[in-house]
Amino acid sequence: MIGSPDVVALTKDDDFGDSYQDPCLLPEEFSVPLFPHATNANPWTKTSYAKFSKDFILISEFSEQVGPQPLLTIPDDPKVCGTFDLNYFSLRIMSVDYQASFVGHPPGSSYPKLNFVEDSKVVLGDSKEGAFAYVHHLTLYDLEARGFVRPFCMAYISADERKIMQQFQQLSSGFSKASECLKSGNRKAFANELEKKLKDLEYTRSVLHKETEMQKINTGCYSTQVIEKANELANVEKSIYEHRDLLRQITSYPNKKGRDAHINDHDHVQIEPEKPIDSNMLDNTTLTSNHSSNGRDKSSTDTDTSPQKPSSYTPQLIKAKSAKCFDKRLKTLEELCDSAFFHQTLDQLNVIEKMFRGDLCFIYTSQIDRGLSIKQKITSFLFEEERDWEEEGGGSRNLYEANHTTRIAPPLISQISTLSGEPMSLDSYVTCVEIGHNKLEIESLEGPPESSTSDITQETSEDAVDTETKGSFSSDRSIEALGNVSPANPDGFGRRSTNEACTVTSSEEQEVTSYSGAPERDADMSTADVFEADNLVQIDTACCMGQDGFIYEEPLPEPLQPCCDDTVVKQEPLSLLHRDPPLQVDYVFGESSQTVVGTSVGLMLPELNINALSDDMVRMNVEDASDTTSYMSMSTSSDRAASPFTYGIPITVKQKKKAGHSALRFIRQYPFAQQAIYCLLSGRTLVVLGSEEGTVRKLVNALLIFVPNIGKYGETVQPWLSSSFQLTDLQRWKLIGLQRVASPAGSSMLHSLSRYSRYIGILDCDNKTLRCPPYKGTLINQMADHRTQIKRGSTYYLHVQSMLTQLTAKAFLYTFCHHVHLPITADDRGSVTSRRTNFLLQLGYTEEESKIIQFLSELVKHHFLQGPLKGLGQALFSYSYSTSYLYKI
Amino acid sequence: MSAACPPQSPAVAKTEVAMEGWCPLLAATFAYWDNILGPRVRHIWAPKGQGSMLLSDGEVTFLANHTLNGEILRSAESGAVDVKFFVLAEKGVIIVSLIFDGELKGDKNTCALSIILPQSELNFYLPLHSVCVERLKHIVRKGRICMQKGYSIIAMLTSEIVPIMELLSSMKTHSVPEEVDIKDTLLNDDDIGDSCHEDFLHKAISSHLQTCGCSIVVGSNPEKVNKIVLTLSLFLTPTERKCSRLCRADGSFKYDTGLFVQGLLKDSTGSFVLPYRQVLYSPYPTTHIDVDINTVKQMPPCHEHMYHQRRYMRSELSALWKAASEDNISPDNLINSQDSFTPDLNIFQDVMHKDTLVKSFIYEVFLLKPGLSLRSVYLSHFLLLLHRKALTLLRYIEDETQKGKKPFRSLRNLKTDLDLTVEGDLNIVMAMAEKLRAGLHYFVFGKPFFTSVQERDLLMSF
Repeated sequence: MIGSPDVVALTKDDDFGDSYQDPCLLPEEFSVPLFPHATNANPWTKTSYAKFSKDFILISEFSEQVGPQPLLTIPDDPKVCGTFDLNYFSLRIMSVDYQASFVGHPPGSSYPKLNFVEDSKVVLGDSKEGAFAYVHHLTLYDLEARGFVRPFCMAYISADERKIMQQFQQLSSGFSKASECLKSGNRKAFANELEKKLKDLEYTRSVLHKETEMQKINTGCYSTQVIEKANELANVEKSIYEHRDLLRQITSYPNKKGRDAHINDHDHVQIEPEKPIDSNMLDNTTLTSNHSSNGRDKSSTDTDTSPQKPSSYTPQLIKAKSAKCFDKRLKTLEELCDSAFFHQTLDQLNVIEKMFRGDLCFIYTSQIDRGLSIKQKITSFLFEEERDWEEEGGGSRNLYEANHTTRIAPPLISQISTLSGEPMSLDSYVTCVEIGHNKLEIESLEGPPESSTSDITQETSEDAVDTETKGSFSSDRSIEALGNVSPANPDGFGRRSTNEACTVTSSEEQEVTSYSGAPERDADMSTADVFEADNLVQIDTACCMGQDGFIYEEPLPEPLQPCCDDTVVKQEPLSLLHRDPPLQVDYVFGESSQTVVGTSVGLMLPELNINALSDDMVRMNVEDASDTTSYMSMSTSSDRAASPFTYGIPITVKQKKKAGHSALRFIRQYPFAQQAIYCLLSGRTLVVLGSEEGTVRKLVNALLIFVPNIGKYGETVQPWLSSSFQLTDLQRWKLIGLQRVASPAGSSMLHSLSRYSRYIGILDCDNKTLRCPPYKGTLINQMADHRTQIKRGSTYYLHVQSMLTQLTAKAFLYTFCHHVHLPITADDRGSVTSRRTNFLLQLGYTEEESKIIQFLSELVKHHFLQGPLKGLGQALFSYSYSTSYLYKI
Repeated sequence: MSAACPPQSPAVAKTEVAMEGWCPLLAATFAYWDNILGPRVRHIWAPKGQGSMLLSDGEVTFLANHTLNGEILRSAESGAVDVKFFVLAEKGVIIVSLIFDGELKGDKNTCALSIILPQSELNFYLPLHSVCVERLKHIVRKGRICMQKGYSIIAMLTSEIVPIMELLSSMKTHSVPEEVDIKDTLLNDDDIGDSCHEDFLHKAISSHLQTCGCSIVVGSNPEKVNKIVLTLSLFLTPTERKCSRLCRADGSFKYDTGLFVQGLLKDSTGSFVLPYRQVLYSPYPTTHIDVDINTVKQMPPCHEHMYHQRRYMRSELSALWKAASEDNISPDNLINSQDSFTPDLNIFQDVMHKDTLVKSFIYEVFLLKPGLSLRSVYLSHFLLLLHRKALTLLRYIEDETQKGKKPFRSLRNLKTDLDLTVEGDLNIVMAMAEKLRAGLHYFVFGKPFFTSVQERDLLMSF
């Protein structure tokens, strides 16, 4: 039998075939290659034969003295252009004046006429050089140039032809703004130049006039000299008229403009559509440039092109005829455009260069991303980078409140249409890029936003808080007390105190009792003791080396019967009751059920309407009010308002991508990574405990990409804490890096760890252990499989991001599938909970995964109803009475 | 040779094309660089009876001449077709020029085939740019052969310029809107299966995504066809939607190569003739959906599609090269002249690979209440997921192969690591990635496919 290698070997052409050319055969230059990518080519090679390393911007001029010449490149780094021949390319892109600008004496006019030509845009390429360019042609005015015009062009040069065409409108928009900036500066400079020239001419005329008069008086007749002077005077007179006319034309520019709507925005000199002009710069740009003086008049903020009076210009005697073309030095671009405008243009070009830097697929995907994210305002806070539109105010909330005031059960459409924002459609890519443009500018041109004082003090101060005082709560009323009486959580959660909270199953009860009954003992325990008290699940490190999975030394006990979150949350906040009829029904009827389903407890912090609460609820709040007050007062005085993470600089996708590297390393090093991630995704605060700050911070950094609702500035992450934390801290921090210290302060810290161990997961990076509830399922396995072959952190981040997108979608589905939450009849309360459970099971989620969805859903609900969570951090607190286990490597 | 290039007369030859509706194209021109006279316009095509919108011949000539300016410096390889794109605000026009070399009067000349549109149509034209350029590029390839052989290039160019005018005209009236309201689609049904069978909808969307969002929807009922067209368009980007077309209730459009989704109406006999060549020349494989009989068929994946396309193109060009006379170069004659033009009747096949992504999406989206924005938001989640998965896959392959320097050998790992073990899911994500990085399919699957094709061809030759 003939095998494929044998056959393929026969397919090679023989020598005869090479030498003989059949005239009937189509020559290759008239054909197309059978494969778009030849033997050594691949989808990435199209950029490989370009002689420059990355995209850049080139400014060229068609000089009247030397022809087309490159002036500058952005970035200004010779390495970027490599061996690419800038002179040749300038020649190519400047070889045609597509503007057909006309300056001269038009028929019927005795004076030169300025023609305000509009910019031309050309996309062209040099396939042999592998260079393609978007070329933006513009004309600047120069009094000393031939015809008063100097043709320039700005070109965005890339090796990717598709990129240029696909981003044409964005490029065009960006370069139009830069061009308008240049031209505005140029008009101003040109007007100033004319003004000075007129002064010189007038001065010259007066001198000549005097001289002529003198000569006439001296000679008494029209001598040759007098006639020459008179001719010269006439020339000066004519020149004055011409220059006055030019000045009139240039100053009347704004009334003449043109066709492109977007250009009209920049008719005036002050062109900085996106970057606010620095006040000094503004002053500079709005003033008359004065060559004889460095000082600038601050008297005017008018941005019109009308020239200001030069305050100290001394007119000079000049010749009516200008110097020969090659005798004079042409002005530089900076001189032509006024320095401030020139630098502003360069800034804009730098922004453009940054905006379009890199691979087209990433640029394009990020544009699509932005367009789609706009539709997902309701959920994007969970794992997406916070965008500008999110800051535009809680439009959805306000609109929603408008619905609320009607008290008529509004159809969900009105709510959803408001929550998802008015621009439900995908914004045009232009808009998207402009958003990006703004953002880039902000990032590149502004300093980091001011971080709050607390941000800094939290990070730098060792321990401003009296830990003893803060730790004065007894554990038996820790979470419940907080939940019930916190002013931020006026609803509290339910009638039950700790001891009555979770009494559903015996095992659970036992555990709860053991915890609540021994807080003092726990306080004295070392961390190791705390861990040893738990069930130990030791994980074979060998599995990290590529084996199939974790090995549990002892079988995990059967999951406890679902804990009683719904029984704990006795009353939904009034806001929710009123605002979301489907959900309202759910909570009103569903929560009083004795049936226990689900494990997460949603604690709604915002406003409380006492009237809406049951008597028991009110009583609870009154009883616990004093505790809360004292607690909160302590807490607020502790300067813990916000996380110092990243010092108030917004967390960007770039940072998250970098974090992806640490995350990848983490999941490979720690076989119990999935459990740690489960903690974070299900809303359980994870404490990373360690003695070395660097190690702890690295781990925190690795895990932050899994924290839901991390906040714009990472408010829910505390990367390094050297003092003990309190229960309220667990509300706002979902990931804490905690310093292990041997001092007495350390024992207090361990005390708090053991006290709150029910509500947290503890990752001990010194002992390489993790203590948290178990996780069973496949969801996180797909997200954090330690055998993954993903090589780069940024790729891993993309993978995690797409998995989290999927998770977010499911949370959205669960939240807004109203039939899941609506009771069919008034007595149908119990079935709602089972319906929810079944719904999630039908989606293929295990019990633990359902907890994740439920937690995310609570966040979505809260965000939808209350608006973005700001200020004191996370308002939703989730805990579970599931048994924790100790995982070891 | 002289017959092909008669002496220049002051008046440029012009073809006026009668259009049914308004055509946004102002003119098309063929110009060349005369070694003595410089740029010269050889032929102008203009739509007939478009009123004051049209440019004068002088203006067209002026613009066409400008497209060749600077091309004296051209140093492209022989056979290369370079594209230039002008937005001349001063003239209020946009010009697309294809620059190529061709033999006229025995000399190698630089030539330009250009189309001119008003600047106000920039937003309309840009999404269609690559469609027009790809089609014009192929006609230029054929035109170059005609020039080489001494035949008239004008007739050849006319055969594509007129359809492009018709395409632009039809897109003006029947293009899918940039934003599709979900209420106009099947996703607004109260329950899955209300308008069409669940499995049909699943198959249609799944195959549509597997073929890079490129589909033709045929049927007898224009409303039904358009509803499917709009439903499929939901899964496209706004730019791709602007490159899709609804069907016309009164008389069907012809199939147009390069559109993403297009609705086509069957004739009174209930049949529709699909031009094999044009479907094959589409940049992506196509899904064929018949809403009358609820069938979904699809073309093979990108790498196979590309291979068939290139082979057919080469055959066509080769036949043209061998054509004995100018009379034999019409498409019909070319098709009959070579065996290799025999269409593969199995070009559309059943959708073989099931997926879980679309299946679960359809199941879930119908759980949400219709008539609200909920489904629209959920759809955006789904699309975001697909785009992100595609980007992840692309990066994964980049990392594995050091951007193509090494062959890709770890498809199994990729499937496991990125949760794409179901073949249909992989196909969908690969198709999305192909649009981001052209040639990805060939890079990943091309070698084994090509080897098998070589084997087959060789065995057949024995």
